[in-house]
Amino acid sequence: MNDTIATTADSSAGWQATGLAVHQASDLIGKQPEGERLEIEADVVIVGSGAGGAVSAYELARRGFKVVVLEAGAYVPSKDFTERFSESLDTLYQDHGGQTNSSGDLLVLQGACVGGSTVVNGCVCFRTPDFILQDWQREFGLNELTTAELTPYFDEVEKNLAVHENGEHEIPQHGRLIRAGANRLGWSVKPLQRNIRQCGLTGHCLSGCKTERKQSMLVTYLPWATAHGAQIYADTRVEKILTENGKASGVAATVTHRDGSIAARMTVTAPRVIVAAGAVQTPLLLLKSGLANRSGQVGRNFACHPSLYVPARYPEPVYPWRGAMLGVYVDEFMHPDKGGFVLEDGGAGLVELTMAAEPGTGKPFMDYMADAKYLGGLVTLIHDHNVGTIEWDGERKKINYQLSDTDFPSMQRALKAAARLHLASGAKEVYVPASDNRVIRSEADIDEMVDTLENLPQHLRMVSYHPQGTCRMGADPDNSVVGSDGQSHDVPGLYVADASLLPTSIIVNPQITVYALATRIARQMA
Amino acid sequence: MKSPRSAPSVAAIWQQGMARRRFLKWSLLGSAGVAAVAAGGFAFLRRSPLDNQPAPEWATGLSAGEYHLFDRARQVLLPVEGTALTPSDQVPVVRNVQALLNNLDPATRKEMGTGLGLFDNAAVLSHGRRFVDLSDAEARAYFDSWGRASVIQRTLATVIKQLTYSAYWQEPATWAPTGFDGPVSDKWGLAYLGNAPLPADDALRAKQPEGKA
Repeated sequence: MNDTIATTADSSAGWQATGLAVHQASDLIGKQPEGERLEIEADVVIVGSGAGGAVSAYELARRGFKVVVLEAGAYVPSKDFTERFSESLDTLYQDHGGQTNSSGDLLVLQGACVGGSTVVNGCVCFRTPDFILQDWQREFGLNELTTAELTPYFDEVEKNLAVHENGEHEIPQHGRLIRAGANRLGWSVKPLQRNIRQCGLTGHCLSGCKTERKQSMLVTYLPWATAHGAQIYADTRVEKILTENGKASGVAATVTHRDGSIAARMTVTAPRVIVAAGAVQTPLLLLKSGLANRSGQVGRNFACHPSLYVPARYPEPVYPWRGAMLGVYVDEFMHPDKGGFVLEDGGAGLVELTMAAEPGTGKPFMDYMADAKYLGGLVTLIHDHNVGTIEWDGERKKINYQLSDTDFPSMQRALKAAARLHLASGAKEVYVPASDNRVIRSEADIDEMVDTLENLPQHLRMVSYHPQGTCRMGADPDNSVVGSDGQSHDVPGLYVADASLLPTSIIVNPQITVYALATRIARQMA
Repeated sequence: MKSPRSAPSVAAIWQQGMARRRFLKWSLLGSAGVAAVAAGGFAFLRRSPLDNQPAPEWATGLSAGEYHLFDRARQVLLPVEGTALTPSDQVPVVRNVQALLNNLDPATRKEMGTGLGLFDNAAVLSHGRRFVDLSDAEARAYFDSWGRASVIQRTLATVIKQLTYSAYWQEPATWAPTGFDGPVSDKWGLAYLGNAPLPADDALRAKQPEGKA
């Protein structure tokens, strides 16, 4: 690749100030009749354009590799973001926002567009906690992944993505209330760190950042990769990973119009394949391809940080949709020995609030919504065990995940802490996000309302923003899918570079972990 | 329903779905308890006066029965008396539900249709009438009873509520009474920042030998 490095050094000539050069299915109308094939050759083909795919694309393209990025979702330019959550679910999210576990009580929200989940996340940035890395070293032989090893990568990606601690103006009213409550309780509370430039304080993070302030892959690593010559194809779903003589040799994909009609069949021939389609789609692709599963671990060990959004009614207007979506967090209970959960204050719009809780049917619910401006919310994140599986039944994917009985007490502890914190922050009513009507009005109510919850499907209203763990890395080929360099133990040239890698859940928002690991994987590959 | 399915055929479809262990995206998981409800319940299927009322022309993605079910759900789940909220008949609730259902893949959509039929018809067991014919109070109590019942019943009640709520609250006409601002970037005139500039060390690194940073 060195012969092309010189040409990439002047990449500023290829950088564009706005938008992204993306090949789309609509480009093929009249050019590629169905059945005709697109044949592309590359040094590296990357499946997915989210956190892992975009970073890998940039790191390899800047080193002179001919990089092709294939994204199953559509390219939606920032200017087309509507700041309407229902529409955004349809256009930016996997399965139009309807992706759930098999029993339907856990909404698994993932981006499905160019830029992936980085386009629709809440910008929250955490480094992988030290105790998690120590677990990985101890349990999975990942001795190289020490804090000292990863710190330079964390430093670099945080710098590239303008990660900073929320300034006072970025802490919304709901965050200020929560901070004051945590201080009253003597709990550790800190401003969140976010990857954003000049936050517009719109509160619409989950619908994409219309004015390009969130430093998602859409406005950072992807345009940087294209400046170095990377080619991005949207609407292009990889159906199979190809091999030759046991080594990765490319992928077969289908380019599809928005109406479902096929625009083209594509084959990319490349000696390196990086799968970075997310912790649901990546194992599905490996399973469909029948590859890299000597250990039997592909699709297993799914974890997802099942979270609850716990709304509460305050005596004064909070306007939970105003200001930065996430301001502060409570890390008092982060370490597993202290509970293994994190609380983050969280904003929400009207549609999101309907999904959180329901204090009665009919008039009680409408009264609750009529007073929505008085609601503030807390998001609970727990360190769940890797008990789920991702399967392909020949027709549809299956996300088999139920909160384990081991983790249910953690969820209850997190819920109790959220209720205590709301009450200490001045809330008059805390709404338990359960299928039945549970309202906490005083400390005395907490144990009764939470202890009587049952770990049954459809009892808690859970959401996952952080699926992970389904192609875990490890030193032992018999119980892991890839090594710490991201390369398959079984198939040379086949790499994984997304949250599938994480051998355990990491409690905190994982985007920085994925960026750092993808950077490291790409550089070791180069 | 224009052409009510026979009890055995509905139960068979439902149980077929159960056997395949397929589930609805927003919810549906089979359980033995509900299978029993389905098997017994459809034997008591009743016609409704609403069966003679056609669905609107735009409702091409809903069966007539589904249209009437969601229109009834709209009425009982979204009461606005005594509030400043926008009456639900001024909002295209059922049309929005139709759009949400159109996003489902065909197999899941079919299962959803079966589940909706179950919800409507199982009221015959407890009330002697289909859900669409219950009074407002009965219909709300029916939702509540399903919210406390088996997994599949909780699931169906939740699905119908969530679809109805989302379909109503996504409409701008519902926002002003709550103070919700809706989209703001254009309204506030926020400038577009564009793509981030290339990292300062972008070119420098590219000239360096390959390897770790």
